[in-house]
Amino acid sequence: MTIVDRILKSINTIPAFPATGNKVAQLLNQADYSVMQVANIIKFDPSMTANILKMANSAYFSPLHRISTINDAVIYLGQKNLLRAIQTAGISKYYKKGALGYFDKTTDLWEHCVAVALMSQILSKKITGQEDSTLYTAALLHDVGKIIMGEFVRDSLAKISTLVSEKNMSFLEAEEIVLGINHADLGGKITEHWNFPVEISEAIAYHHRPDLLEKKEKIIPWIVYMADQACLMMGVGGGVDGLAQRAVSQLLKKFNLRMRDLEMSMVMLSDDLDRAKELMSIV
Amino acid sequence: MSDLIVGISDIKITNKLDDVIITYALGSCIGISVYDPVAKVGGLLHYMLPDSALDAKKAKDNPAMFADTGIPMLFKSCYAMGAEKKRMIVNVAGGASILDDTNFFRIGQKNIMAMRKIFWKNNIMIKAEDTGANYNRTIRLVMEMGKVFIRSSGGEMKEL
Repeated sequence: MTIVDRILKSINTIPAFPATGNKVAQLLNQADYSVMQVANIIKFDPSMTANILKMANSAYFSPLHRISTINDAVIYLGQKNLLRAIQTAGISKYYKKGALGYFDKTTDLWEHCVAVALMSQILSKKITGQEDSTLYTAALLHDVGKIIMGEFVRDSLAKISTLVSEKNMSFLEAEEIVLGINHADLGGKITEHWNFPVEISEAIAYHHRPDLLEKKEKIIPWIVYMADQACLMMGVGGGVDGLAQRAVSQLLKKFNLRMRDLEMSMVMLSDDLDRAKELMSIV
Repeated sequence: MSDLIVGISDIKITNKLDDVIITYALGSCIGISVYDPVAKVGGLLHYMLPDSALDAKKAKDNPAMFADTGIPMLFKSCYAMGAEKKRMIVNVAGGASILDDTNFFRIGQKNIMAMRKIFWKNNIMIKAEDTGANYNRTIRLVMEMGKVFIRSSGGEMKEL
């Protein structure tokens, strides 16, 4: 079996994605639902329940009183934050083992993904005037391919690093040449396998090269790319790939942004990260 | 002995010989290590952005975030512990960039330029540096020897 076949086969060994998030999302989309109905879906999933309570009580959401029931958490968090909390809690377990091979510490990958998700919302607000839950989920999952790729990258690191340093390739391009697939494409396949909406799996597959996506008008892949690059520059969860990343030059012009806007978003992320320590610690 | 960890937009100073000051994961940010071998005072700054004009309030709350407020703070904090400018050994690392970034995200280069300008104005010489390129770096200042070690992403620890 070739390496790429082994990598693709590993997709089937990843546990199914908890349906709680999609069920709640569907319910919230209906014109008429009750807090009780939402709470009942969440209560069905004990680890989700524990994580939601932990998150609702964290400094990031800073409740005035201690929240001790799921019903209270649903009301307090509100639609937008609830969905985000559920996705964060659901996704966290896949990142528990980290991606050694890319990172020194097991928690690095999770910290990076939470940071990119928070940054995606800062950028979305700047660009479109509002936050976006689909974008948040795509950003949180953007590096999910690394959980499988990690061990393969570790075994072939010398070859990949040589291509990066001698051929001026990006780490992603070198992954693809040495292993037959890159972590972005693999992440797209994993989220397809989990039945995520196509705009999420596409954003993940193209998060290093949004300019190669045929549907260029889609903005989610571009914002995930920008948020990822900004976090890597800030050094939040940088791994062996470092800054060996391709620059997509149309980026700033496309959204009519200046350097200053990006620098300001980095300052804002620093504040968010201080408040999000508990979010990080659920892994 | 203790490890003093310097976060992003952070600064640590010590005069304890058994301390090691460390900053991890410098991407486009820059780490500046200073050491006075006579006073045995050392400091490490990890700044994120070049210019405090971006956000004056933030610069006041956390001067270590910007080159133009963080660098003076690093030196002044060392002077307060008995260090003298003429004896200070300065080492720097970081300021990495993504590949072929000609027209966006030039934060690494801007951070390097801001630092050079400040050092040039103040007659400060850099002893050794590892800046630019496209890899992450970790800096360790080992107080006992006054030596600075750099580790680049995936690589070995080397003396700067």
